[in-house]
Formats: sequence, structure tokens, C-alpha cells
Amino acid sequence: MKNILTIVRKEFARFFKDKRLVIGTLILPGLLIFVLYSLLGSAFYEGDKISTVKVVNPSAVFAPIFEQASADSENSSGLKFETVEDNSQESVDALTAQLKAGEFQVLIVFPENFDEEIAVGKPAQERPEITVRYNSADTQSLSAYSAVTSLFDQTEDALSGLFNINYTQSGDVSTAQEATASYYSMLLPFLILTFLYSACMGIAPESIAGEKERGTIATLLVTPIKRSELVIGKIASLSVLSALSAIGSFIGTFLSMPKLMGGSIGDMFAAYSAGAYVALFAVMLSAVLLIVSLISILSAFAKSVKEATTFAVPVMILVMLLGLSSMMFGTVSALPVFFIPIYNCVQVMAQIFSMQFSPLCLLVTLASNAVYIVLLVLLLTKMFKSERVMFNK
Amino acid sequence: MREMIRAVNVRKTFTLSRRQMAIEKTHSNKKVALDGLTFTAYEGQIYGLLGPNGAGKTTMLRILATLIKADSGEAYVAGHEVSREAEKVRASIGFLTSELKLEDFFTPAYLFTFFGNLHGLSEDVIQKRRRELFEKFGIDRFAEVKVGDLSTGMKQKVSLVISIIHDPQVIVFDEPTNGLDVLTAKVVTDFLAELREQGKSIIISTHIFSLVEKLCERVGVIIGGKMVKEGTLEEIRGGQTLEDAFFEIYKETAGEQ
Repeated sequence: MKNILTIVRKEFARFFKDKRLVIGTLILPGLLIFVLYSLLGSAFYEGDKISTVKVVNPSAVFAPIFEQASADSENSSGLKFETVEDNSQESVDALTAQLKAGEFQVLIVFPENFDEEIAVGKPAQERPEITVRYNSADTQSLSAYSAVTSLFDQTEDALSGLFNINYTQSGDVSTAQEATASYYSMLLPFLILTFLYSACMGIAPESIAGEKERGTIATLLVTPIKRSELVIGKIASLSVLSALSAIGSFIGTFLSMPKLMGGSIGDMFAAYSAGAYVALFAVMLSAVLLIVSLISILSAFAKSVKEATTFAVPVMILVMLLGLSSMMFGTVSALPVFFIPIYNCVQVMAQIFSMQFSPLCLLVTLASNAVYIVLLVLLLTKMFKSERVMFNK
Repeated sequence: MREMIRAVNVRKTFTLSRRQMAIEKTHSNKKVALDGLTFTAYEGQIYGLLGPNGAGKTTMLRILATLIKADSGEAYVAGHEVSREAEKVRASIGFLTSELKLEDFFTPAYLFTFFGNLHGLSEDVIQKRRRELFEKFGIDRFAEVKVGDLSTGMKQKVSLVISIIHDPQVIVFDEPTNGLDVLTAKVVTDFLAELREQGKSIIISTHIFSLVEKLCERVGVIIGGKMVKEGTLEEIRGGQTLEDAFFEIYKETAGEQ
């Protein structure tokens, strides 16, 4: 045990005394993710800005819809409709220029006698056309245009007599919290697994293949330390460092997610119980140990860090595909699935995030992964004893 | 005299990769590195393995250091069989070779403590050994400088003190003065002589005749993986200089082969 701790301390010292490594591995990925996702979110939602839509020749049919949307502008629609009385071509041209200058976001021009023509019900090719103008170079205008077309789509369906729209009751029967949980269960297992693997890939090859490449592993191998102690010390320290790096990325994602998807951090925290967080921690720990063991074996086979990274890339693609499985196929509950390494972690995480967490599935996942980790550690120990593997120059 | 290192009929064959086969210009993927090597080194003596490059000297020392395993035969270090009691062997030896490197990122002081811990030494013993060895080799002045910033000679000194941090009974040095400047080479050879005076058993591999003549009591001449002659320095020399004696042996062996 003492030797294991000595190896762990040395690996930590190697990592934490190197400022570039600490910044590059622990801080920068999380920070970049936060900035990137927040910027993306800002571009999508344009914050809480209210967009102005000017309407020429207002239609009586659309009036209640626009009024409702204007009333909801502070809550959901983000649109405020203003009527323009002057319907001359000069007025429309002036309004177009103002739109281009960013003074408002969308211009809607109804044809004269629009309501009467709708009431008559003309054939498709003779139906009146509504002109909608916007500025695609302006993200707020683009976003407002999207909201306006959505309103028209709904109304067009209603006017075609297919169904009536009830603006006071939503057709969606899930709660907002359940809808958010569903998004997270699709997205977060993939992101977490990708972050964990990337973190392990950034650290583990350097520690094993790097030591082989530089010849420093041989210096360790001539000390009386047992090979198994060396392996456990390496895997333990790499797991902690990889987990820290992954946590950095996860925090960045977690903090930026509300900006990206709408909602607030408080809602996210409140959505899950303490037990769910404990289960998430356990499954992440299990995943990181499994991935570190796997990459360590690939690194031990490799002659250099470059070769180790080359070996690890195809495995990364496989891991990412498994991560995407919750997005493509949703959650599963068949127990045998939870014996499949990595995939079991994805499924348990998806269960946790979708609030359908099964303790039995978690237990099977943790137990089976523990067995795989022990087997991988034994294999790595055997590799550390093999001169063909350790000195394969 | 007590036997400290004994090799009995040690054989080792390496499997060559295609690249290595091309370099060696051979069609066989097997290369015999050691072909039944037998020799004994005694307590308080320096044993020299003398031979040209590729003779098998380093392979023999790596087997003694437990880094690789012999295909057949037996080797003992301080009474421990190298393949069955590898950890005890590693605790009894100090092994130094150019292929063992120190991590550039750490300082000599840190690495000394780290390897002291791996050898199971207490903090007091580590500090005592550090004072002795760092002062002797002048490492104190660069003890807190990263290894990557040191010269080759300085690195070799640090590697040397780390290899003997645990005051081993047996010292195994592969080409101990290879690549060193004359001053550092002298420090190393003087230190080996001093260790012998302390009763340590030392085995070195080299192709430098003057080093063998200066230090070794017993010599084993290895050519093509075989021990072609073994005995005391005087027996090997046979009244000639070691260099003349070696080339005579070499010609005889080449003629036989």
C-alpha cells in the first residue's frame, strides 16, 4: 500500500507542478465549453430581448393571435406586434430600410382585403400572399422571423379547417421539468462519457507510453516495487486526474446548459434528488476507472505516446457511439444490457437524468464494471512483467 | 570467498521484428543473444564482462537485474534466483545502465526521496544517504534543478547515486563510463573502487580495456553470446596487455566460427 501511495504522489506531483498541464487539462476544457455553449445559447435565444414586429394592413383574423403573442412577449413569445396605418408603397419601403437598420425585427405586410379573400376561400394558386420581411444578417431578426412563421403555420392549419388551436392549453402533457429531464437523459450521458474519455486520453498515454518512450519506466522496474503496485498506483492516480479533468468539463457544460437549452441552473439542481447525484458519481467513477484501465493497456502496448493516441482513437469512436445510444434508442431496462461495459454506464446515466433510475441496474453496472476493472488491472500487471511489451522498441 | 553472482548455462534468444531483420540483414527472425553463459563473481571483487558491441553483455546484465528473463539456465544474485525471487534480487542490487532514464521534470532531490521510498527506506535514512552521496558527487549545488536542465555528466551522477540509494550488496553497471566526460568518468571509476573496498560485489560490462585493467579482478570475455574465456585478469592477459590478449582470443574465436 505504501508503494502504491508513493506512485500516486509522484504522478500527482508530475501533474500538479506543471502549470501548463493543470491549465490545459483541468481548467481550459471546462472554460472553453462554458464560453462556447453560452455563446451558442446566446445566438439561439438572444437572451430575453423582445423583438418588434410591424404589421401593415392588419388582418382581423390574425389580430387576436398577435394580441395574445404581444401579451406573452415577456414570458414566451418574445414578440411585440405594432400596427402601421400607412399602407403606401413609400411607407413599406421606409419600413424596409428601418428593418435593415435594425430598428425593428420583422415586417409583415398583409394584402388589402385579406380578410374578405380568406372568407371567400379561393383556390390554392389564387390565395392572397402575406409578405414577411426580416434581416438574416441579424440573429435577433432571424430568431423573431422563426417565431412569426411558427405563428403563421399554426394559424394556417386552423384556417384550413384541419383543427382549432387552443392558445390557453398546451398539447404537451409532460411538465417542463420532465421535458428538461428528457433532454438531459439524451444529451448528458454522451457528453459525460466523451469528457471522461477525452480526459483519460489526455493523461494516461503520457504516464505509461510516455514513460516507456523516455526510458523512465525501466528505472521504476528495477526497484523492488511489485508490478501490481506500480499498475494500481498508476491507474488510481490517472483515474483521479482524469475524473478531475472530466469534472472541469462537466461543470462547464452544467453551467452553460441552461443558456444553451433555456431554463435555470436552480431548476436543474432541484430536478434531481441527492440519491441521484450519489448514483451519478458512482457510475462516473466506475466509467473513469474502466476507461483509464483500457487506455493504460493500449498505452502499455504502444511504443510511444503518439502510437498510444493512435490506438485510443478507434476506441474513442466506439465509446462515443455507445454514448449516443441513449440519444438514438432511449433508455432500456433489460438487465443483461447492464453487463455490457461502457454501454451500462450510458444507460444508468440516462436513467438517472430521465428520473427513471433503477438501483438494481446501477448495482449490476457497478459490480460488472468492478470485475472488468480487476481483469484489466491483472492484464496490465502481466504486461508490466512482460519484457516483450515493456521493451518493444 | 562468497559467491555473489552466479550464472549457469544462461541462454537467451530474441525474436526480431521485420525491421530488425532488415537492419541485421538476416532471414531468420531469431537471434541468439546468450548461448550458455556461465560465470561467477565474488564478494569484494569487480567482475568485468568484456566484449564487442552486440556480444550479449547488456543482455546478461539485464537478466541479472530482472528486467528480462533467460530462456533457460539459472542466475543467482546474493543467493536469490533471478526469475523466482525477482523482488529480492531487485532489493539487493544497484543497477545502472544508459537505458535507465530519470524523468526530466523532477529535481534530483525529489527523485532521490521518491526512489528511497520505493526501496522502503525511512525518511531519516534517506536524508542521511542524501547528505553522504550528494556531497560526494557535488550534487548539492544542483539538487533543486530539474533533471532536464542538467548536463549529461550531472544526469549520470544523479542516476548513479539513485541506483545505490539503498546501499546494495551487489552493483550491476552497464558501460559505466560510456558517454561521460573524463572528469565524470574518473569520479565513477574511483567510486567503483571505493565500493569494492567497502566489500561490495560489482559487475560491469565494457569494451574499454583500460577500465577493466584498472578495476577488475576477474574478467569474462563474451563474443557472439558465448563466454569464450573466463578467469582472473592475469589469466586472461596471459602475460600480454589485455588489448592484445583480447584480439588474440577474438581471432581464435572468429577462426572457429
